[in-house]
Amino acid sequence: MNKNFQEMFAKAKQEKKGSLIGFATGMDPNYKTSKKILIEMAKHCGAIEVGLPFNTSTSDSATIMDANMRAIKAGANTEKIFKLIKEVKSEIKNNVPFLIMTYMNPVYVYSIKKFAKKCKTSNVDGVIIVDSNNNSPEDKELSKELKKINVAYVKLVAPTNDEAFIKETLKKCSSWIYIVSYAGLTGSKQVNVENVKKISKLIRKNSKIPIGVGFGIRTKSDVSKVIKIADAAIVGSGIVDIVGKNSKNHNLTKKISSYLKNLKKGLNK
Amino acid sequence: MKIPPFKEINSPNKNGYWINPKTKEAYGGQYISPLLIPNLQKVEKCFKKALKDKKFMKGLEEKLLTFIGVNTPILRSKELEEIAGGQKKVGKIYLKRTDLHHDSSHKPVNSFSSCYMAKHIFKAKKIICETGASMHSRSVAAACAMLKMDCEVHIGAVDAEKVSLNKDISELYGAKIVVVHESTKSLLPAMASALRSWQSNPDAMYVVGSVAGPSPYPRMVRTWASVIGRIAKQQFKQITGKVPSTLFCVCGGGSNLMSMAYPLLKDKTEIFAVESAGEGIPTGRHGATILGGSQMGILLGFKSKVVMKSAQIAESLTEASGLDFAAVGPEVAYLHDIGRIKFRSTTDMAAKKTFLMCCEKLGIVPAIEACYVINAALKEIKKRKNPKENHLIHLCGSGESNVARMIKFKRENE
Repeated sequence: MNKNFQEMFAKAKQEKKGSLIGFATGMDPNYKTSKKILIEMAKHCGAIEVGLPFNTSTSDSATIMDANMRAIKAGANTEKIFKLIKEVKSEIKNNVPFLIMTYMNPVYVYSIKKFAKKCKTSNVDGVIIVDSNNNSPEDKELSKELKKINVAYVKLVAPTNDEAFIKETLKKCSSWIYIVSYAGLTGSKQVNVENVKKISKLIRKNSKIPIGVGFGIRTKSDVSKVIKIADAAIVGSGIVDIVGKNSKNHNLTKKISSYLKNLKKGLNK
Repeated sequence: MKIPPFKEINSPNKNGYWINPKTKEAYGGQYISPLLIPNLQKVEKCFKKALKDKKFMKGLEEKLLTFIGVNTPILRSKELEEIAGGQKKVGKIYLKRTDLHHDSSHKPVNSFSSCYMAKHIFKAKKIICETGASMHSRSVAAACAMLKMDCEVHIGAVDAEKVSLNKDISELYGAKIVVVHESTKSLLPAMASALRSWQSNPDAMYVVGSVAGPSPYPRMVRTWASVIGRIAKQQFKQITGKVPSTLFCVCGGGSNLMSMAYPLLKDKTEIFAVESAGEGIPTGRHGATILGGSQMGILLGFKSKVVMKSAQIAESLTEASGLDFAAVGPEVAYLHDIGRIKFRSTTDMAAKKTFLMCCEKLGIVPAIEACYVINAALKEIKKRKNPKENHLIHLCGSGESNVARMIKFKRENE
């Protein structure tokens, strides 16, 4: 397991709490503001997912799609997102792990080997690829390369997946596994606790890997419900929504800070 | 009439990839959220079952003949031969008239077959589809009306305006229209939007209109669509005694190309695909993938040749909504890369002039998409100067929905 994730889960366990993982699209609305947002998020979140925007994403709701387009307009590309994470990590005073969340195309075009190496040199702790299929040659290569350098490869499982698929996914997944709580797009519905229970059971039957749950977690009560079952709650659209509505507001980071502070109240086990 | 049976050639491997034997490059695959993996597995299982199910295939064949009218003619065009320099110099030119299908394009063959499978084997109550020129949505909506299924159409805002007639016909057939305002507001974001909608409606079946998308769609769409080419090959042999010397088809994603080319892949026919050069390939404002500087990339569930700008999918710009796609289907890219299919291009301006020429000299109103191929075919045929050759051009659609823009073009240029 990646050391920073290991520490995050161990600390939470000791405190009898769950972890909060925040998502924000990198360079949304621009490099400078995004940097401030990520630094602020690192004060409150156990880990941070940084979206590397892709303009033809197939799983994102309008909220994240809009953020992707804002970031691309601001000049976001793979190189700049790595730079952003490296700078943020050198400025924060803790070991909060950072992940890149994206689609396979930007990684494939950048070159998988080069991408993995760059994760290491930019202090990226993990990678999530939304559209990576267990059977694709790119998935095999990426999983192998990340393993070599001990960068987490976090894979997604959904309520529609059966045990065979989950077992296959667990073979490549490292540090933690991501449960998509419902059939739908990011942030388009409310978290489905029954689905989470069902998939968690299947995962637990086969592995002790920590579980993170995303899709539809927006409130303290959502976080609380999820943390009763899983190890981490992932909040994305809620944060991106604040960025989208307040991109020119001087109080943007304060708003994100108070939103996250409130969510953290739901982390008690 | 009996439709010549399907014979599988050029199969992808079990993971849905075509592998280039020389470079080992893989085309196709399944790059999608894990949410949709079970659905794709179900589509694949249903497709394989359908091909083996004699009762299903008989029922489908009957509907293709009696509802779609799939037995459209191949007609010789002496007028086009004259334009190219005369039969004595360039040989004979024939047109496969899929514009005479029900709903006026090549699209209904795949659309109806997919919906028929969705109804009888997948057991879906709802169909989700994307569309560019709305020929696909129009034929999916017609199939849904006939098969008593719900239909949801995703269309880019630009296309919704450009081809409003087909969009309105889709609505008259009972489809719910979702207008997509993202990115280029054309076919590509419409397909992304349809895929997203399917994730929220896993009980529905997604019907793709091109030989694109995650596996098994590229293979399934070309298999259904190849009914056109199977009939055409038989007809051509009956007329000329042999297979065509050349075949010309326009290529956006590649469904109309594969519908005709697939049954001829093992024959001697030289196959040409024609892309839209838009305002000219050097301007960067075009719809050409193979000739427009594409590289291997991953989008909308598949890996293929894609036009990109800094790892983002580039905007494709063309007059023809049906060609407005920054990628080609994986099997098409594979066939190009192994040298089986050659590519040519036509600019928007040349296609528009060809549209007027077809109206004035042939008495045909072709879909603007078909004008790119007629233009490029005439150039190639002239260049070949071989009186012994028999050329086949796919006239893949009727141009009613282009009339408003083309009458404006005619008047402005008179």
